[in-house]
Amino acid sequence: MFRHFSLIWKSTLRNKRRTALTVLSIALSMSVLGLLMAIFNMFYNEGSSSAQANRLIVRNRVSLANVLPRSYQARIARVPGVKAVAIMQWFGGVYKDSRDTRNFFARFAVDADKVPLIYPEYQMPPDQLKAFVSERTACAVGNKLASRLGFQVGDRVTLVGDIFPVTLELTIRAIYTAERDNENLLFHYDYLNESLEPARRDFVGTFTILMDSPEDAPRIAQAVDAMFRNSPYQTKTETERQFELSFLAFLGNVKAFLGSISAAIMFTILLVSGNTMAMSVRERIREVGILKTLGFTNGKVLAVLMGESLVISLLGGLIGMTLTAMICAGLREAPSLFTDMSRLATPWWLLGACLAVAGCIGLISSLIPAWSAARRPILESLRVTD
Amino acid sequence: MSEVVIETRNLTKRFSRGEQTVTALRDANLEVRRGDFLALMGPSGSGKSTLLHLIAAMDRPTSGEIRVLGQDLARMSDGEIARWRNAHIGFVFQSFNLIPVLTALENVELPLKLTRLSKAKRLEHARRALELVGLADRLRHTPRQLSGGQEQRVAIARAIVTDPDLILADEPTGNLDANSARDALTLLSRLNQEFGKTIVMVTHDPHAARAARYVRYLEKGELLPDGQKPEDW
Repeated sequence: MFRHFSLIWKSTLRNKRRTALTVLSIALSMSVLGLLMAIFNMFYNEGSSSAQANRLIVRNRVSLANVLPRSYQARIARVPGVKAVAIMQWFGGVYKDSRDTRNFFARFAVDADKVPLIYPEYQMPPDQLKAFVSERTACAVGNKLASRLGFQVGDRVTLVGDIFPVTLELTIRAIYTAERDNENLLFHYDYLNESLEPARRDFVGTFTILMDSPEDAPRIAQAVDAMFRNSPYQTKTETERQFELSFLAFLGNVKAFLGSISAAIMFTILLVSGNTMAMSVRERIREVGILKTLGFTNGKVLAVLMGESLVISLLGGLIGMTLTAMICAGLREAPSLFTDMSRLATPWWLLGACLAVAGCIGLISSLIPAWSAARRPILESLRVTD
Repeated sequence: MSEVVIETRNLTKRFSRGEQTVTALRDANLEVRRGDFLALMGPSGSGKSTLLHLIAAMDRPTSGEIRVLGQDLARMSDGEIARWRNAHIGFVFQSFNLIPVLTALENVELPLKLTRLSKAKRLEHARRALELVGLADRLRHTPRQLSGGQEQRVAIARAIVTDPDLILADEPTGNLDANSARDALTLLSRLNQEFGKTIVMVTHDPHAARAARYVRYLEKGELLPDGQKPEDW
């Protein structure tokens, strides 16, 4: 096969425009496929961080939109193996102009004093932490959010509520650094709670449990859910990772969605590549006859023709994977709209898998035209005029 | 007497065209000895190219026997025939049939890629073959950059580069002007006389046939007895 590489390569370049267009279309399709695989990997394959492994999330069994009484916090804290329980309340709201996506970031009402214990990965200077915890209207912002919006300690932030009909005037007292979830704004739950009308007070979206040991997770989750089974507000307790996935499920069947788009992309590449190869082979039937006259066996002719398709699809795959890596790098730096994109990685195995997919598509798409050309009798091939 | 390299017995080839069956070659009996230069002549459709293709194992006979270089071609598989053809047969086409994307050197090297020779050896052989046909200064030229005569010389170089026992040429001067045709024929004569190559050449050009040592004629699919010509020739 390698002996014939120069023939394969030169045949590939025979019709430069067609080859370039085919490579480009494969590259674009493969870049989208690579991106989808990277997203799939981020959502479903990535393991929990060590800090995440120690945490459980408690939410209303019905849905995330339903709430839990704040009073559950103290009862959950008494379950053996629970080190601490903190409120985590999604606020939503609008910061400045909601039409500008740059202004979108996650805002959570939390138990400020429990943040350092439950979220040890959020690093902030001690003086800033102290200021954040002690001041009722203080908030802490992630380092990426701060650099995106130019926030500095002491800046005022006004959030206009939508789920909660209140306007919160906050002061940035801390900027935390973290590898993940560094685009959040955290503020005091008490401030939100007191701002609400009495009927809506003392309800919470989720509780975060810090466990003594990750091994206790199933037992604690079972104990918490059992504790509230006969109450009007039943709970569902799950690991932080599972919670993220259930949050994702709001979008629908994401797995099926990603899978169907990926399948459509692969089918499109198959058609594009197959069409190119069919044209290329048809133009070269006579050459197949020449090669066979020189002593090329059917198998060698097949290898040369399929090799050409393989080269085109691998070239497209390589360019596509470069594009994927670039897009993912860009998305990692871009504002997180729905989920934390900083985890959007393009590991080597993923790029390799996409490249293998490209190669397989190249081989499959060329199989039928190459096979029929290779099997064609010599004289019949030689009779074909250019 | 030298060794018989081509031997056919009652060789027949029929083609089906729809409902009709056309007999392209009927009961051809032929013997070619090592070192011969045979011209097969005859009008269009007389079966001369069919006979050449059967000798080159590019086609299989309907009936009869054919032994080339001691091999019973009918008993060989397609793969065996391909390898045998690469090792023992050099074929020259009327329309040169070079690969347009390859240079002259690469075209000539192509049959050697099926051998176990190293790249350096392959290129050395290809260069030598091109030197032999007088194209040492055209190694890097693609077929489009060559004249018809030069293309045919590259094709001849490709046919001889594996040092085959048998060179088969199908109307090698058919697409050439008079001068180029003369050069090509001179080259074939030289290969026969100096290098002892056995050559079978199909032609309908009496001038070309003069380059051969002897001529056999075909008419309406029949190989005429030695020395006999078609009536209107």
